[in-house]
Amino acid sequence: MTDIALSPRRSIARPSATVLAVAAVFVLLFLAGIGFGSTWIPLETVANVLLGGGEKTEKLVVLQLRLPRVLAAALAGGAIAYAGYLLQRITRNELASPGVLGVVDGAALGVVLFLAIFSGASNSLTVSIAWQPLAAAIGAVAAISLVFILSGRQASSAIRLLLFGIAVAAVCKALTTIFMLIGPIYQASQAARWLAGAVNTINWTEIQLMLAVLIPVGIIAGFAARHLPPADLDDISSRSIGLNLPVYRIFIFFLAALLTAGAVAFAGGVSFIGLMAPHLARLLVGRARAAGIVVSILLGAIILVGADLLIRVALAPLEVPAGTVTAVIGAPYFLYLLVRKDKTNG
Amino acid sequence: MTAIAATYDRGARVSLAKGWIYAGLVVAMGITMLMSLTLGYKVYSLGEVWAALTANDGSETATVIAGLRLPRALIAPLAGAALGMAGVLVQTLSRNRIASPDTLGLNAGASLAVVLATVVFGVQSLVGLSLAAATGALLTSVVVFGVAAGAGGLSPLKIVLVGVTFASLAHAVVEIILTSNEAQLQQLLFWLSGAFVDRPISLFYNGLPVVLVGAALAFVLSVALDAMQADDSTAASLGVPLVAVRGLAFLAVSLLTGAAVSMAGPVAFVGLVVPHIARRLVGLRHRHQLAAAALSGAIYATLADVAARFVIYPVEAPVGAITAVVGAVALLVLLMRRLA
Repeated sequence: MTDIALSPRRSIARPSATVLAVAAVFVLLFLAGIGFGSTWIPLETVANVLLGGGEKTEKLVVLQLRLPRVLAAALAGGAIAYAGYLLQRITRNELASPGVLGVVDGAALGVVLFLAIFSGASNSLTVSIAWQPLAAAIGAVAAISLVFILSGRQASSAIRLLLFGIAVAAVCKALTTIFMLIGPIYQASQAARWLAGAVNTINWTEIQLMLAVLIPVGIIAGFAARHLPPADLDDISSRSIGLNLPVYRIFIFFLAALLTAGAVAFAGGVSFIGLMAPHLARLLVGRARAAGIVVSILLGAIILVGADLLIRVALAPLEVPAGTVTAVIGAPYFLYLLVRKDKTNG
Repeated sequence: MTAIAATYDRGARVSLAKGWIYAGLVVAMGITMLMSLTLGYKVYSLGEVWAALTANDGSETATVIAGLRLPRALIAPLAGAALGMAGVLVQTLSRNRIASPDTLGLNAGASLAVVLATVVFGVQSLVGLSLAAATGALLTSVVVFGVAAGAGGLSPLKIVLVGVTFASLAHAVVEIILTSNEAQLQQLLFWLSGAFVDRPISLFYNGLPVVLVGAALAFVLSVALDAMQADDSTAASLGVPLVAVRGLAFLAVSLLTGAAVSMAGPVAFVGLVVPHIARRLVGLRHRHQLAAAALSGAIYATLADVAARFVIYPVEAPVGAITAVVGAVALLVLLMRRLA
């Protein structure tokens, strides 16, 4: 695997300083995301309300109307970025991401199937919405399993994985379109916007469900990530020192699929964040593992919160799905990686 | 030259005389078009169809057949034929059996161009839209091949990665433009996945000349394309002006893809699947590949259109979703075979 040699130059700044700087940017953007709306709420007021103070009306606007949307964007962006980090490290492939490997579309197919099967005559769900993340998880795990089974034993071959991922994603996307039409019309139009990655309609129940999935999975993944092979070790050597064993690889893929599902279940198909965030994180903090994970999550959250804010500032009052904006930024980035990678490879 | 041609003929898996194959394809195309006229939410008899087409008496049956069934029974085969031929051309040009107007992003580029032309530049005329679609496809092919060349040569797999990424970019922009213009979901689905339903018949009359020009250009180039199948130096030593042939072939691809997209939106993966069928039937000579791809593309698209009426009956599925399922599975199979 020659790709590893291409890891970007280490940053000169100390990782901890960089992490703090990125976290500061995230907090500012998060507060700005809540503050911006039909009336501008000053950042200190927002911070005050979040810390438990504030007047009654301020509390209502901030906590009930604006916070869910921004929090959902931060959670979804962070989770997808985390999944992207795990996938890029375990496949040693900087082009891998939940989107390219078909996991996002698999999760989306799971949700649409769920909505189509369990919709009552009156367009309401016949079972609890708490099952929706499970449907997304089943779809995500099925998609990534399919990609790896099809890629066969050389699943570490970069291009091979990506192409099978793209093909599986195409199958899932096409099936999603068909099942959307089976469901009631109201839910079809809802689903269409959700599919493109929209965080504007999220409520507190959905946030609680997201947290219930993402927090335990994220913590387990954090412990599991301690055994990720160093980025500069090739497959055979890492296996010979007992790292990167098949079972471990499958476990990491599974965790990445669950993280993706937790994000996609309610925030929809936000594209390319899982690709961009871990890569940018490596540019900022190098290969340090803990810092890499934290910065990836923060950057993922920054990108999605930022995209959502951009839509509200630049395109208001229209509600363009945030996922389209991240695709417009992310697709050229992917092309750039593809071109640059090969030039270095000669 | 004849020696090469003779070798190419052996590519065919079917050993029937070509005349019989073409006769079979033409008959099959006729049958599928009749199916498209008679089958659907309501099933009509051949007599009713004949009556409606020859003497439109203004009855409900006649209106449905002449106004709704006829346009799609004509547009589906024309778009399918155009995409099939475009698929043959791009697969030869990139020497890549998983290339197609979809995997290279040309479909998406064409539909982005149509949406831009309508929304931003206010183009209304059908001719204008066809031109926009063809220009979009042409520009996309320049960009995609340019980026792939920048990525260190036109490796077959790499060019597909570039094309697919470009397609998702174009889709995102289409979505943003249409959302900002408060378009209906239906229209969004149309420009993202393609459909033959509810298209006015004028689209057919408008697309037909464009497809014919593109097809004529492709057939004129067929001998040169035969020589290019091997490699560039062989083709050059046979006296093929490579740059001119490539440029003209891309023009033909853009006309064919553009016409298909302006009529039906980006109907997915038709151009990927059809050339494989065509080569199995008639071998590698482009004269035959193109003819067989045109006929089998027409059959494939029309059948998919008929299937779309029944998959989730009584509701219609978008035909693009059906061809996408078939095409994506075909892509998986092709990849497995290629990488095995």
